[in-house]
Formats: sequence, C-alpha cells, structure tokens
Amino acid sequence: MEKLDVPQGTLDLMILTILTREPMHGYGIAQKLAALSHDSFQVNPGSLFPSLYRLEQDGKLKAEWRPTENNRKAKYYRLTAAGKKQLEQHRERWDRIAFAITSVLEGA
Amino acid sequence: MTLLHRILSVTRRLIRPNRAERELDDELQGFIDVSVTDKMRDGIPAAEARRLALLELGGVEQAKERVRTYQYGAWLDEAGRDAKYAWRMFARQPGFTAVVVLTLTLGIGANTAVFSLIDALMLRWLPVRSPHELVQLSISSDENDASVSLSYPIVGALAAQGEIFAGVTGFNTATFDVGTPGAVAKVPGALVTGAYYETLDLDPVIGRLLTPADDRPGAPLVAVLSYGYWVRQFARRPDIVGQSILLNGVVVDIVGVSPRGFVGAEVGAIADVTVPVAALPRLDPPMKALLGPGNFWLRVLARPRTGLSAADAEARFATAWPRISEPVIPAHWPASRRKELADASFRFSPGGTGWTFLRERYATPLFVLMGVAALVMLIACANVASLLLARASARRREIGVRLAIGAGRGRVVRQLMIESTLLSSTGALLGLGFAWLSGRVLVGMISTGPIPVEFDLTPNWHMLGFTTAVAVATAVAFGVAPALYATADGPAPALRVDTRTTASRSRLLPSLVSAQVALSLVLLVGAGLFSRTLHNLQTFDSGFTAADVLVVDLPSPRAAAPQELVEAIQGIPGVVSASVSTHTPLSGSTWSDPVVPAGQPIPDRDTALFVGVGPGFFETMRIPLLSGRSFTIQDSAHSPGIAVVNERFAQRFFPKQNPIGQRLSASVMGQKRDLTIVGLARNVNATSFRVAPPSTVYVAHAQLPGEPGAILEIRAGGPTGPVASAVRERLRSKLPSAPIEVRLLSAQVDATMVQERMMATLSAAFGLLALVLACIGLYGLLAYGVARRVKEMGIRLALGAQRRRVTALVLWSAARLVLVGIAVGLPVAWTASRWIESLLFNLNPRDPAAAAFAVVALAATALLAAYLPARRAARVDPLVALRHE
Repeated sequence: MEKLDVPQGTLDLMILTILTREPMHGYGIAQKLAALSHDSFQVNPGSLFPSLYRLEQDGKLKAEWRPTENNRKAKYYRLTAAGKKQLEQHRERWDRIAFAITSVLEGA
Repeated sequence: MTLLHRILSVTRRLIRPNRAERELDDELQGFIDVSVTDKMRDGIPAAEARRLALLELGGVEQAKERVRTYQYGAWLDEAGRDAKYAWRMFARQPGFTAVVVLTLTLGIGANTAVFSLIDALMLRWLPVRSPHELVQLSISSDENDASVSLSYPIVGALAAQGEIFAGVTGFNTATFDVGTPGAVAKVPGALVTGAYYETLDLDPVIGRLLTPADDRPGAPLVAVLSYGYWVRQFARRPDIVGQSILLNGVVVDIVGVSPRGFVGAEVGAIADVTVPVAALPRLDPPMKALLGPGNFWLRVLARPRTGLSAADAEARFATAWPRISEPVIPAHWPASRRKELADASFRFSPGGTGWTFLRERYATPLFVLMGVAALVMLIACANVASLLLARASARRREIGVRLAIGAGRGRVVRQLMIESTLLSSTGALLGLGFAWLSGRVLVGMISTGPIPVEFDLTPNWHMLGFTTAVAVATAVAFGVAPALYATADGPAPALRVDTRTTASRSRLLPSLVSAQVALSLVLLVGAGLFSRTLHNLQTFDSGFTAADVLVVDLPSPRAAAPQELVEAIQGIPGVVSASVSTHTPLSGSTWSDPVVPAGQPIPDRDTALFVGVGPGFFETMRIPLLSGRSFTIQDSAHSPGIAVVNERFAQRFFPKQNPIGQRLSASVMGQKRDLTIVGLARNVNATSFRVAPPSTVYVAHAQLPGEPGAILEIRAGGPTGPVASAVRERLRSKLPSAPIEVRLLSAQVDATMVQERMMATLSAAFGLLALVLACIGLYGLLAYGVARRVKEMGIRLALGAQRRRVTALVLWSAARLVLVGIAVGLPVAWTASRWIESLLFNLNPRDPAAAAFAVVALAATALLAAYLPARRAARVDPLVALRHE
C-alpha cells in the first residue's frame, strides 16, 4: 500500500496518544505509528525527532535514558501532566474537525 | 510553566551545548541500532539491514540539522557556532580580513567623526534642566534679516516681563587677564546678565551662582568658576568660595563653582570665569559703552513660563514690546532708526542646543562633508561587497558541500550574513576609535580660526547609535548580495563544474567596480574644486601683503603713546618698517562712521569704513598709494584733519574727479570733523575675500579723540622669529604690566580661510581614500578574474597569442569598467557641484580643470591597479595552466 504523508499538525497528537499507554523510545514510536496506521504512515526520523524535542522542551514530554529490551541505552519519552492536558485539548479539537469534515463530505 | 520550561531548556543548551549534541547523536545512533536489529530479526542480512536503516533515516546529518533548527534557542546556539566558524575563516585569510576591516574602519570612522562634530555643533542639548523649553530670541526689522544680538537694556526689559518669561538672560564670551602682573594668564570667560543661571536652572557645586542682584551697577565684583577650572587651578579646594582673584588687575570675589559638564551657553567656547555684565565698566573701562542702549552684543536665551509655548510667548511679547520699548531705544539715535527698532519684531526659536556662531558658518560645510563621508561609505560598502562576492565565488565548492550535506539555504545565507556582521562590527569598533582621533583633528582645524573652539567629543549615545546604525546598514548592504549570489545555484553546479575555467558570468561584480569608479570621480571632482578654491584664496590679491608682518595688540590704558612705541621698535635690527593703526585687514573687527563730501548734511547711517593709521602704515602693509601723500609725524591732534581714501570711496563720492584736495564732512567716533583728502590708496579687502573692498577712509591715528584702540604692525626684513622676540622684549620694558602677544598677520589672514582649508584638506583626504578603495576594488576584481581564467589564458598563449595581447585583454576589460564609471560619474559630479557653489571662490562649479584632474588621476591610478593582474595574466605558463587540474 502507498505511504501517506502525516497531515500537517497531527504528528504531535499521534505521538502524545501513543505515549499515553507507556513510555517509549523514538524508534518504538515510529514503529507503533506504522503499525497503528496499518503501515500508511511511515514517519521519518527527520520529522519525528524535531517534534519529540519540541514537545520535550515545552514540558509536554519528559525523557530519560533507560536500557532497552536488547540491553542498549535509549531515550524513553513519557507523557507529563501538561502533555496529558494538551492531548485532551488536541483530541477534542481533532474530533470536532473529523466530525466536521465527515459531515461536509456526506452532506454534499 | 511552558515559558519557564523553554527558558530552562534554552539555558541548559547554551551552557552545555556539547552535551545536547552528544545526546542527539546517541539517540539517532540508538534509533539506527534498534532498526537494524529489527530488520535482522526479519531475516535481512546485517549489511543490507544497515543500508535500509540508514536509507529510512534519510541521512543522519540532515536529521540532526532539522532537530537543531526546530529547537528553541537554536538560533542563538547556531549563531554562536557560525561566529566561531567565521572567526576561523578570517584567521585563515588575514590579508582579506585586514583589507575589509581597514576599509570599514576608515569608512565608518570618517562618517562617525563628521557626525560627532555635527552632533556637538547642532544636535546636543545644553546640560541644563529641560533644555527643550529654552528659546533663543532674535530681533528683525524686516523679513530677511534677523539679528541674534540684543542690547543690555533690552535684555533687562525682557527679563522684567515676569508674566511671559520664567527667566531671560543675555551672554557673550570674553577673555580675562587673570593673575598678578608678571604672571598673567589669558582665561576664556563669559559676561552674563543676572538671571543667567536662574534661566538655565543650574545648581552650584559649591558656593552660589550669580543672581540678578550681582548684575547691578555698584554691586560687589563677583565671579563664578567652571568646574573644570576649579579642578585644574584650585584642585577642588572647597575654601575657594570667598577668596578673590585678580581679573584684568581688579580684585573679584569667587562666589561659587558651576556644575560639572556646563561650560557656558555658547557652544564651542568654554567659559572658565563668568562675571555679570554690570562688572564690565570696572573690569574693562573702555568697554563700558557696551552697557548702553546702542550696542547690540548679547545673545539671548529665555525660558517661557510653564504652560506657555514659544509661539505663545512670542505673541505675548509682540503686544508688550511697544509698551516697554521707549526707554531702551537709544535717545541719541535719529528718528528713522528709533522707529525701526520700535517696529521691530522678536523671533523666538528653539534654544535648547545653545548658541554658536560656528553653526551658521559650518552647517553647510559639515553637511557637505557628511554627504562626502556617506559617499565614501558607499564606496567602502561596494568594495567590501565585491571582495566578499569574489570570495563567495571562490567558496562555491565549500558552500556547495555545505548545502549538499544538509544545510538549508537560509542557514548558509545566515552564516554569510554573520560573517559580514562580524566584519562590520569590528570595523565599527575600530571606526569609533578612528573617529575619536580624527574628530580632534577636525576641531583643531576649525579652532585655527580667530576664536578657539573646544568640543567634548567623548562618544555619547548619539554617536554610538549612529555608528551602530551605520554598521548594521553596512552589513546588510554589503552582505546580502554576496550571500544570495553564493547560494543561488544550490549544491549541484558547485560540485560539478571546475570553477577555475569559466569566466565569471556575474554582472554584479563589474557594476560594483564601475559604481565605485563613478563615486570616486564625484569625490575627486569635489576635492579638485575645493583645492582650487583654497588656491584661489591664497593667491588672491587682497590689496596688501601680509607675509613677514607681525602685529601686536596694545593694551588699554597704556603707559606709552603708540607712536613712541613704533619709534622704539623701528630701531630693532631686522625691522623694515613699523606703524600703528586702529584695525588691521581681515581681523574680523571693523569701524564705520558717516562721511560725505563737504557741504552735504551728515547722514544717520555709516557710509564708509574708517581706519585710524599712523605714519608708515601703507609702507608696512604694502598698500600702494596711487597719488598724494600718506600720514606723517607732522599730522598731529593740533594740525588740520586729513584723510587718505581708497579708490572705491573716490569713485563713489568723487566720480571722474581728482579726490586729492577734496573736503569731507564726517562724524568720527561721535565727533563732527572736517577732513581734507591728501592721498588715494589702492582698494583692500578689509572685511573678507568674498566681499568687494568697502569704501574706506584712513584718518590720522594721532587725530582721533580719546585713547583709540592701537595695533602695531611691524614688517620684518628676514626671519620673523628673532624679530618677534626682540619686539616682545622691547615692548615689555615699555609696558611692564601688560601681557604682550606678537602675532603673524599672515596667521590672521589664514584664519579667514579656515573653512576653505578644512574643506580642501578633508575633501582631498576623502577623495584619496575613495580613489584607493576604488582601485583596491578594481585590482581585486581583475586579480580574481585572472586567477579564474588561468586556463583560458594558458590556452590562448599555447595557441600562439602574444603576451602583449593578453596584457591588453586584461587592461581593456579594466578600461571598460573605468570608462563606464567616468561616463556615469561626470554628469553626477556636474549636477552635484551646484550644491557646493556657495563654498567655492572665484570658481565655476563646472570648472573643467577640476574635472580633467579628477579623470586623469582616476584613469592613471586605475591603470596602475590593473597593470599588476594584467602582467600576471601575461606571465601565465601555458604548460602549468593546462596541467592545473
């Protein structure tokens, strides 16, 4: 199946959602995103890491170095309280956008 | 919370930039590792898994760069890195860096120096409270003519208008002889009316300042010292208050010290000792007439009452003036003049920047200089831009590589802009130092005039702001084009093409050089015009010969008659002749009185310039006597009044008649006199070179009433130095209590050319600077072009081209640029020269000689600059050139 570009401004939302369940490292987030989107979204580290760094700088994520399952060290990101709040707001907005777009498409 | 996070994060990154970088490296490495492990688990061989993982990543450096640019504070971070990189580049190319920085230092320094003078002369507020409230008063009897000088009684009448003014003061500069006989020093000072310090609203450092009570006839004699004089002469002694000093031999009490930084309301003159005007009759008896209503000599500053604007105050005073004018108009004036003054209107203009005669005299020259300096700056910018452009071309490979490994175009442009900013701010910093030095030289030039000038040129925020603005504008002006040009093509061509074989296709570089040539031509034409003006002045026949003449101002009252002193001096070896007179030509001081042919009524207005002279005056000054005789010892106070007139006077009053023997009716220094003309002298430019010689009547010094001013003129036969010291010795024995200053008459004449000399010197300096800069630009372009075309030159030579022809090829390309520059520059110079017409003397602003000089100087220098690269092109060894790769 052909890969899709991640729509503008939704990458942060998806990252925050993925991190609600458990802390993850960059590669894990990319893999999870691919899996959850049925391989439609393949996010490039050149896009992923800038988002992660910015969310971390804004205090939405907190990062720490931990050993991976293969016993390598990796930087794990987890959601902070501020991150949870941002996720709720973005989620609500996204739901309204999705509903609005669907309504327009079906009403036409 | 978020903001705090950002600040913390940025701070962390700034404090430990390497750690942030290392973490990013580790994380990306971890990403690749996990990705590879993952793929190997799917059965892909290790090498292939690694390749795929890297492909997915899309380049480690690109990913890192994107993360960096997305981070807050990244900009600062990277700017710091760029600056470090830029310094390394500069250190590797010290020659290039030195030329660029020197160019900018001279350009920015010249601009700052001229600006600092304009600032000091015109823009700076007086260091007093609310200077913007102060207004300067001038009086005008018709539309075109306003005088900034008022009489002492008028200032008193103004000061009495309490419902209009919070304070009014009049002031003028003065020089005092301070100290005991034998140890007298000339100290610059000021005469002020009583409300001076109250109007300016200043507080004393110690003691008190002058008050209106000090400015009454018979009030105790008091003086206020400037802070600087107190520090220099009295080492800040607080007990100085109440002590007395000798001013002009009179005991005066010191009452206080004025605040630091305040040196008087006249800009450019320093008043170390300030005394009330009312003290003048006792300090300098011959000058007591200045207190009368007929002498207009005080500059006036006023502070309108709170709530009144300058316009309000002007309107109110206009209604008050007819009511109060009567007592302050001189009663002895003829009715027409009395009416003129009664009908005069007062103008109130902003006065917060103080007053100075320099402003009128130097405003135009300084603005012209500012324009010239700005042109030099443009040339400097063009020069630096072309150097950077050439360097950017040479760096295309490096820039291509940077673009290829993931730097965005914006990033590279920024790197180049940071380089130009660094260069310009270094230039600005050094330029400030240069300005500080050259500003002093400028003030020194102005100060050679009759009145010494002092300015505080310590850099202030005006100057710093100006320099910063110039530096920033410069960085943008010379940085943008090269930066955009260097990055325009992206990475591909730079990596592919051998940059050494192609000729430059850019039109920007050659046009920059032509622009520099055009601008320097304009400046050189200006320099030529100003130099010729100075030359015209110096060789101008002013009707007398100043060379080898010494002058001595005699004090008043004096212990010996002037003629007695003249005779004493005539005996000194080396003295050819000596004489006495009331005035000398071009001293800035003149005397005029009404005079008409006998039989006509004596008019109210002065009709001729008067000079009282003794025997030997015309000889000493070498003013040719056309007919009749000059004054002799026999012409005394008891013999009939006689006069010598100049040609202008004779033509005006006795056209087509022999003036000798004609009789005149005159009012000489207020006394009616009948004079018989005994001689006719040649015209002399007594007031200015720029003003036609005025009608002049010479009268016998011995026949003047009272004790008139006396100046000795001594013509020396040989070197003036020994004669001057002999004269000083002889006079000291005759006049033991007075300071004797022997001056050169030629210095007095030179002092009238201060402005022209300044313009000639500075425009020549700027023109030379522009010429050098333009030639550096031309040389740089050609040298760079030859370096790029080494291969082409090699091929030409290998195919049999003569070396002469290769040289000619390069020279011709230079000549084309110079010709374009001249073609553009000449019309510009011709148009621009009209603006400086008022500063020229006996010269057409389109003077062909000045233009020819500029073209020849430019062409010759340009040829010289082009010759070196041309010779280099001809010396290319075809074999070496072809093997170049």
